[in-house]
Amino acid sequence: MITILLIVHGLLAVTLLGGLTHQALSVISAPAGGSPRSFIDRFRRVNGAAYVNPIIVLFIVTSIGGALLYPQYRIDVRPMLEEMDARAANGIFEIKEHLVAIGLGVLPAYWLFWQQPLAAAQSSSRRYLTWLLAFIVWWGFLIGHVLNNIKGLLP
Amino acid sequence: MKTSAFKIVAILFGAVYGLAFYYDLALFRYYPETNRFHWQTHPDAGPVILWYGWLATAGLVSTAIALVVPRSISDRIPPTWVWLAPALTTLAMLFYEKRWFV
Repeated sequence: MITILLIVHGLLAVTLLGGLTHQALSVISAPAGGSPRSFIDRFRRVNGAAYVNPIIVLFIVTSIGGALLYPQYRIDVRPMLEEMDARAANGIFEIKEHLVAIGLGVLPAYWLFWQQPLAAAQSSSRRYLTWLLAFIVWWGFLIGHVLNNIKGLLP
Repeated sequence: MKTSAFKIVAILFGAVYGLAFYYDLALFRYYPETNRFHWQTHPDAGPVILWYGWLATAGLVSTAIALVVPRSISDRIPPTWVWLAPALTTLAMLFYEKRWFV
């Protein structure tokens, strides 16, 4: 059961990561003129506002998945890391849980600032909130994978 | 809930969470080995998870404050504060947690 939950948590995280990365790049000002030619251009020329509700739902559901996995981590993985004196591994997980908490806290304002019609006066706040969430999700995704594979990564 | 209150939640949630973490103000504690929630510390119950309790503390406090602040005030909160406060909280947290890497 825990393996299924872990895989579902990972798949949700991949979806969230993709959507949020599209949106985070979409809030960068487009270069003047011309049609999108490069992969990056095409990647970021999305309607960022259309991603907001799915991202909020995915962030919450993925966080709930992580919260459900946490007891297994606390009982099995963390004591093993402590035995191995892998302080950095414990530290990056601590940071992950704090970042997810901060992310949950900004979701209401993130939703508010992406409401249509988009207010020009809020464009920079909208951009930085989106980037903050993107940083949180990238950290959570990468650290989750590192910790999931930690036995194979440590000497 | 008025939507401008969302700005207050965004500003306060991370900061209150940080205080709950630093001062051990978890609303409740979960002990996974016994599968029990407790208000108080139970050292004999095995390892504890405080994260749920910190989230609950941050959610309750920030939402309560957001609800009592008059709309005339919350509407005037500059949008910059809404991203700057959690960004600074993030930086402070990263600075504090470098203790794991020394």
